[in-house]
Amino acid sequence: MQSCYEDLVILDVEAENYEDAIRQVGALLYNGGYVKDTYIDAVVEREADFPTGLILQDIEIAMPHTAGIHVNKPAVCVAKMKHPVEFGHMGDPDTKVKAEMLFMMAILDPDAQIETLQNMMGVFQNSQAVAEFKAAKTEKELFEVAHKYIG
Amino acid sequence: MGRRVKILCVCGSGTVSSAMAASKLKDVLGEHGYDVDAVECSPISAESALASGGFSLMACVSPVYEDLGVPKVNAVGLLTGFGEDKVIEDCLAILKAEEE
Repeated sequence: MQSCYEDLVILDVEAENYEDAIRQVGALLYNGGYVKDTYIDAVVEREADFPTGLILQDIEIAMPHTAGIHVNKPAVCVAKMKHPVEFGHMGDPDTKVKAEMLFMMAILDPDAQIETLQNMMGVFQNSQAVAEFKAAKTEKELFEVAHKYIG
Repeated sequence: MGRRVKILCVCGSGTVSSAMAASKLKDVLGEHGYDVDAVECSPISAESALASGGFSLMACVSPVYEDLGVPKVNAVGLLTGFGEDKVIEDCLAILKAEEE
């Protein structure tokens, strides 16, 4: 199942904080019609209560998302930050994560999109994949890497 | 088919990260001979989800601070791969203790 699209990759996002980052990256999902107008606020609200930062082996990331009622069409938006943006850690909100990339997820039904979710975990645990994401210098390259590993 | 165990997977939205953890638990605990029945929920709905009974443990991707009477395992390692073995060991220890 395809979940990465050419209009859902972005480089050099300059964000002041996690909310700014979510609003900028979420705008791609909204402008493309993948999510409803309630999605971005719902993601921001959820991130404040239940952060989504993760510390991986070679990179720190965040995977902001919310419930399926805010989603039209399943997708994953892949964004690289110009400077790391501070997110709370998923397992412990007091731990801070300096997110270099965002995998912003629009999931309609986790059971139907389990393959996408499994692919995401595969990326998180795959040093080679992370290296390719880090090395992507153009939006085209970023899309190709995202599509290859996430779908 | 292995022994059927019920595991409550908890994450902030009650869907996405808990579904990731659930799929990993089904695979890995399946290899250890368990047939995992995973129920997904958010921390806010954990107590009501547990009310249906029979849960061996809670695999928490987002923190659950209250003691709800069911053993908790911090399951973030299932997503990142960091400490995944520890998560599985913790789950297995709880499941084994239950059998004794």
